[in-house]
Amino acid sequence: MSSERDRRERSGSASAAAPDDPLLAVEDVHTYYGESHILEGVSLAVEEGETVALIGRNGVGKTTTLRSVLQLTPPRRGSIRYRGEELVGLRTHEVASRGVGWIPEERRMFAELTVTENIRIAVPKGGDPEAAIDRAFETFPALDERSDAKAGALSGGQQQMLAIARGLVGDNEFLLVDEPSEGLAPQIVADVADAIAAAAEEATILLVEQNLPLAMDLADRFYLLDNGQVVKEGSTENVSPDDEELRRYLSA
Amino acid sequence: MTALGLDPVVAQSLVDGLGQFLRPSTLFSVLVDGLAKSALFLMIATGLTLIFGLMGVLNFAHGSLTMIGAYLGGLIMVLTVSQGTPNGTRLAVFFVGLFVVFGVLAALGGVIEVGLIRPLYDRPPIYQILLTFGVTLVLDELVRIVTLFYDIQPVADWQAALGTKPTWFTDPVDLGLASVRGLALFEILFGVVTVVAVWAFLNRTRYGLVVRAGSEDSEMTEALGIDVRRVFTVVFALGAGIAGVAGMLLMWDKNWGASVPLAAETLLPAFVVVIVGGLGTFRGTVYAALIVGLADAVTTWWFINVVDLTFLPEVVVFAILVLVLVVKPRGLFGLAEVGGH
Repeated sequence: MSSERDRRERSGSASAAAPDDPLLAVEDVHTYYGESHILEGVSLAVEEGETVALIGRNGVGKTTTLRSVLQLTPPRRGSIRYRGEELVGLRTHEVASRGVGWIPEERRMFAELTVTENIRIAVPKGGDPEAAIDRAFETFPALDERSDAKAGALSGGQQQMLAIARGLVGDNEFLLVDEPSEGLAPQIVADVADAIAAAAEEATILLVEQNLPLAMDLADRFYLLDNGQVVKEGSTENVSPDDEELRRYLSA
Repeated sequence: MTALGLDPVVAQSLVDGLGQFLRPSTLFSVLVDGLAKSALFLMIATGLTLIFGLMGVLNFAHGSLTMIGAYLGGLIMVLTVSQGTPNGTRLAVFFVGLFVVFGVLAALGGVIEVGLIRPLYDRPPIYQILLTFGVTLVLDELVRIVTLFYDIQPVADWQAALGTKPTWFTDPVDLGLASVRGLALFEILFGVVTVVAVWAFLNRTRYGLVVRAGSEDSEMTEALGIDVRRVFTVVFALGAGIAGVAGMLLMWDKNWGASVPLAAETLLPAFVVVIVGGLGTFRGTVYAALIVGLADAVTTWWFINVVDLTFLPEVVVFAILVLVLVVKPRGLFGLAEVGGH
């Protein structure tokens, strides 16, 4: 088994995939929850090094898109390729061990585990847990102070930091980040935004975010989802958060 | 004339009983008896709680696995031990047998999980309950057929296996305050080793960390690159192995003994202990085993020595269950006071 580090180094140079292949290519993905058809042919691409925002109203399929990539809710049709490799048909842990990290909605800390243990568990087999923990605490010094506390005892903001730290463990190169600002006080949101910006230095990010100014601030490009389909995409550069069309799609 | 309005004869016997109970020698022997019972309850409940905690599966076949462990352990002892076998050899054979029983039951547990339970994880819990209940019926019937074939009475305790104990465990041991059953001390030791071993596994190993994380959120654990399905199999096998080891221990105890009804006799208290402790928490299971074991020992003493109602101690175990469910439906664990009891 090649180490995470090797993979990271490989990814820096020419990767095994075709040169024009994006890091993540989602093509015509259809995903269902039971009988309800949630994603109705979603296609999007994320290039290496980018931060891409996935925006849209509640219930249009943003979280489902992330869950489809991870094979937590496997698509019934369509293709999801990561570094040119098909993910559909793999199991979730196989997707994760290819360097894909998940920072889920509501953070999903292991509340009964300590802060340190929450990071340790994310270290892949053969990895160096102590180095991973040191690195996480270096990036997020606030966590170091609470290292032996149970994650359930942390504040919402600290939990979000821990979720981001955990997502970066194992030298993950691609992060699926779901609603990181949800339920946090405005001044804490700024800290979380900084943390995501810091994570973006190390990894490619697909970000689901309801807070439009925040999403536009963090991301290079965006995809707007409505009714399980991509209805608009583009660079965040030329988009004002007051954009009429975006507002129309985002207002309930 | 009594304050409680009791019949003077009954009142006098209760006062006498209390005096007798509070003697240091009585208290000590009841304590040893209670700890031995706690150790056995712990042994039979540990596998159940690990499996429920991680997978959410209430394994109704757990008692049958214990029962098979008892017969298999008994078989190993009966085949290797004869009248003249010295104590040390008997104990050595027992420990070797433990590994065999653990291995066989773990393998059986692994096969049950992969072959039968795995396809049902996505279904409501009732499917797993019905399935494991069905497994119990099949296993019990198989053992009944095999034992009858070899002329062993399946309903009564297997006397030949009971007789393979070293005399260390049949003779009373004088501990100064009182003399106690040697087997009780062995059982207590066994319980302590089990607690330490399971605690160390859960808290000091990478696999234990995965089990604790998976017990909280198996989807998140999987998304961290961990093959949770394989962890399920390993933990089910581990739980089945511990159930088998518990059975081998019970095979020597005349209060239990290897028999087909042992499956139900152990399943019920195991459920009580697991539920009282709080479903799926090992720490809760340890506390609950202590509470239930000591309560059982105390009431057994009272109902045998003072009030002649010998069937009541078993009722007490279930009375504790009812009481806990009424007062604290999620089990004792999480209550700060539990540690103080």
